[in-house]
Amino acid sequence: MPEPLLSVENLRVAFETRAGVVRAVDGLTFSVGEKEVVGIVGESGSGKSVSMYSLLGLLREPNVVIEGSVKFQGREILGLGDDQMQSIRGKDIAMIFQDPMTALTPVYSVGWQIEEQIRAHGTESKHQARARAIELLAEVGIPDPARRVEQFPHEFSGGMRQRVVIAMALSCNPKLLIADEPTTALDVTTQAQILELMGKLQETYGSSIVLITHDMGVISEMADRIVVMYAGRPAEIGSRVDVIRTPQHPYTWGLMGAVPRLESKRSRLVTIPGNAVSPLDVPEGCAFAPRCEHRMDICSTRPSLRGSDHQAACWLDSAQKVSFRNRGHSA
Amino acid sequence: MLAFVLRRVSSAVLVMFSISVLVFLIFFATPGVDPAARIAGRSATPQIIAQVRHAFGLDRALPIRYGIMMDHLFFKQDLSSYVNIGAKVVPQILQAAPITISLVLGASVLWLLVGIAGGIVAAANRGKFIDPLIMFLGIAAISVPAYWLGEVVNLITQGGLHHSIFSWVPSSGYVSIFQNPFEWGLHLLFPWLTLASLYAGIYARVLRAELVNALNEDYVRTARAKGLSERRILIRHAFRCSLISIVSLFGLDFGALIGGAALLTEVVFGLPGVGLLTYSSLQNLDLPVIMGCVMYGAFFVVLANAVVDIGYAFLDPRVRVA
Amino acid sequence: MSDIILSATNIVKSYSVKSKKIGKREQVQAVSGVSIDVHRGETLGIVGESGCGKSTLARCLVQLLAATSGSVSFNGTIITGLSRKKLRKHRREMQLIFQDPYASLNPRKRVGDIVAEPLRIHGYGNNEKINARVRELFALVGLDVNGLQRYPHEFSGGQRQRIGIARALALNPQLIVADEPVSALDVSIQAQVLNLLKDLQEKLKLTYIFISHDLGVVRHVSTRVGVMYLGELVELGDADSLYDQPLHPYTEALLSVAPELDDGTQSTRNRIVLSGDVPDPSQKPTGCAFHPRCPYATEKCASDKPAFVAVSPSRSVACHYPRT
Repeated sequence: MPEPLLSVENLRVAFETRAGVVRAVDGLTFSVGEKEVVGIVGESGSGKSVSMYSLLGLLREPNVVIEGSVKFQGREILGLGDDQMQSIRGKDIAMIFQDPMTALTPVYSVGWQIEEQIRAHGTESKHQARARAIELLAEVGIPDPARRVEQFPHEFSGGMRQRVVIAMALSCNPKLLIADEPTTALDVTTQAQILELMGKLQETYGSSIVLITHDMGVISEMADRIVVMYAGRPAEIGSRVDVIRTPQHPYTWGLMGAVPRLESKRSRLVTIPGNAVSPLDVPEGCAFAPRCEHRMDICSTRPSLRGSDHQAACWLDSAQKVSFRNRGHSA
Repeated sequence: MLAFVLRRVSSAVLVMFSISVLVFLIFFATPGVDPAARIAGRSATPQIIAQVRHAFGLDRALPIRYGIMMDHLFFKQDLSSYVNIGAKVVPQILQAAPITISLVLGASVLWLLVGIAGGIVAAANRGKFIDPLIMFLGIAAISVPAYWLGEVVNLITQGGLHHSIFSWVPSSGYVSIFQNPFEWGLHLLFPWLTLASLYAGIYARVLRAELVNALNEDYVRTARAKGLSERRILIRHAFRCSLISIVSLFGLDFGALIGGAALLTEVVFGLPGVGLLTYSSLQNLDLPVIMGCVMYGAFFVVLANAVVDIGYAFLDPRVRVA
Repeated sequence: MSDIILSATNIVKSYSVKSKKIGKREQVQAVSGVSIDVHRGETLGIVGESGCGKSTLARCLVQLLAATSGSVSFNGTIITGLSRKKLRKHRREMQLIFQDPYASLNPRKRVGDIVAEPLRIHGYGNNEKINARVRELFALVGLDVNGLQRYPHEFSGGQRQRIGIARALALNPQLIVADEPVSALDVSIQAQVLNLLKDLQEKLKLTYIFISHDLGVVRHVSTRVGVMYLGELVELGDADSLYDQPLHPYTEALLSVAPELDDGTQSTRNRIVLSGDVPDPSQKPTGCAFHPRCPYATEKCASDKPAFVAVSPSRSVACHYPRT
């Protein structure tokens, strides 16, 4: 099997605070192949964003401790110095964020900002960079790009700004694009445009995408493989079809049951009892056990990810899973 | 744009008018203050005072007296001092102005350089030792009053060490730049340093706070994700966005100082600028000169405000739409 | 009691903003002539994207905002234009729940006082009576009464939303307007709050106006759904039939692209991705407001504004060529 593009192994991110150690990410292991879209889904506090920030060296807090291994194209990048990471960021691995309204520097034109990235990683002249910027704006569907390249961010709507951000991220042909909730702040129709654009560009550029979101619907439309996170730990990892059709973890059952469906109405939504676990208070064993209705004694020991292609961090055996899942999951 | 400019100009004129009325009322309508008595002198008899009153038009109605004074000040330009009979107000101010301007210009260059450098270095090294050190120096500079610092500087440079280390420091006073540029600079050196210290402290602290804020903004996160160096992010993104508040602060400080707010420094170093002129005219209750100085100062503050407003549009493209 | 609890006729809300021309001010219409009846006991969902005017409409209906023109009647009595005093007794019957659980509770007040406040304002009774009622409300929304003395920041988002709901229920209102009540909550908490709202509706015989941009949530809770676009109601009808068979092209597009759990078994749906941006209310197109983005628009759509008509007893739409 070819070497995966990105290989994350036992990634741990902890913040040492006065109130205690906050384990934001606690043992994340997954990989991203060439041209693959991996979706990381979870609620707030699941560690999905922090894990990707840590990988790119974007966590600047002095009290953070990052451990584990992250290999990009076979090369270990966790622990690299800032100047080495700078040549990877924006060039080999690009990242886009949630709120397009504040993502761009307000005092420079969008063209200037795209050119800045191009010239930081290459030897293009101003002229060449400007031409490339206009090309990119056209590719992401900004009308009249030659004129709009000189405009400022506030002259673009939210959806347009997100397109600019995507254009900027793709400007140096990165192998991997990490998108942190890229459409959460956008309207449904705009979201559809952006997701369609991302899909199209992924094919054109051949890059892999890590898509972080809380929206199971978006994940199911975009991702080839899905990582479900809870309390900083991976609960379930598998292909899209496997995870959605036959989820293996009680948390995933709860998540999917809690989402109101468009095409049919159910009388009651399945709820996960209790509140999200506090990151200061993650239990010794399975993090989800306190809220799990199928909790057993053995759950006081933390389960590792079990399975081969389709993995779940749960002690239930396959037979139990089939019966419990069908009980709660079906309409 | 034209509408904007017109609106700014008309509001500026309105502000100046209101200030002039206010000053006029304070000095001419305050009970217990009788300008005629002051002008006539201590030993004047009531008749002389009455004569003086009539001669200066002080027995006319308030609005008319206001009108007369404004007429003399702006149109006839022959408004005369009450104390130094015959000395015209406007030339006095125009003579004092270059001194103040020299003082403020030099000090502002210094405080901008030191303040901005201090703010950037502190923000770039936040958390390390040099950051709180710079902030402490800043607060110390702000806390020390200008007149005290000036006097201490004088004490050191003019006192015991005048004959040894500081023999090159001239005694207080002003030399015009056209006369002798070197002497001009030398005379102004310590006044510059004294005046600049307060503002350098303020600017360093303000800039550091703005930079640290900016470095937590989303657009800086995007810049990092682009792979830019920290230095570039600090200067080209964070600093450039913080510039707006620094520039507006500077505009207002500069305008107020040119208008005479550097008074204490001028007094301490014996520089006959507008501040000193205002101060002495207040002591003598020399009302025309007071009025002249106030209007001069108000004009610069109002002008500075307008320039800053227009300057915003250059620095922040979002403002241009509004 | 009549079947219609609230009736709004031709509500218009406009704001005056500075125009690009010197000295003039332009009128921007946030809500442009919406007429709607709310039936007792139903949940009327109002769905739309940003700038469509749904929140503004809701506030105009309960008189939180004064409509520029149009009238609203509650239980048969006209409430638009009433004096504050006269309006007061109607206010007890209509309450709101807001979107942001972090901003809608006063951070300096204890949560018990927050819930008691409406009771005090309307002279519910003495302290003892009020305290008893507050405890009752807390139990009703599933909160521990031991938390009465705590401050909002000590609660999670979902719990804060429950406090907001308790506050809204304090005076036994007949109508509750919920403006994006679950949008700021995680999916699992969202489900809890939606279930709670449903239970409360049954128990207390409430009528809901439920505003949201989330199509799945709206379908789940609503009996009828209204779709808004640029300040106008473009479609209204029974929830199930609207979602299965949308009549307005905008509704059709919206439903076709709303993210859905797709396990690969369903046939690929026909996604209508609209071009252009969600429009700005200050630049309303002529004729039908949706025509610049409509895949089926004709010349008629650009010049003639379609009327909002009933095409069946339970469905109405404003379109020259409704989808059938």
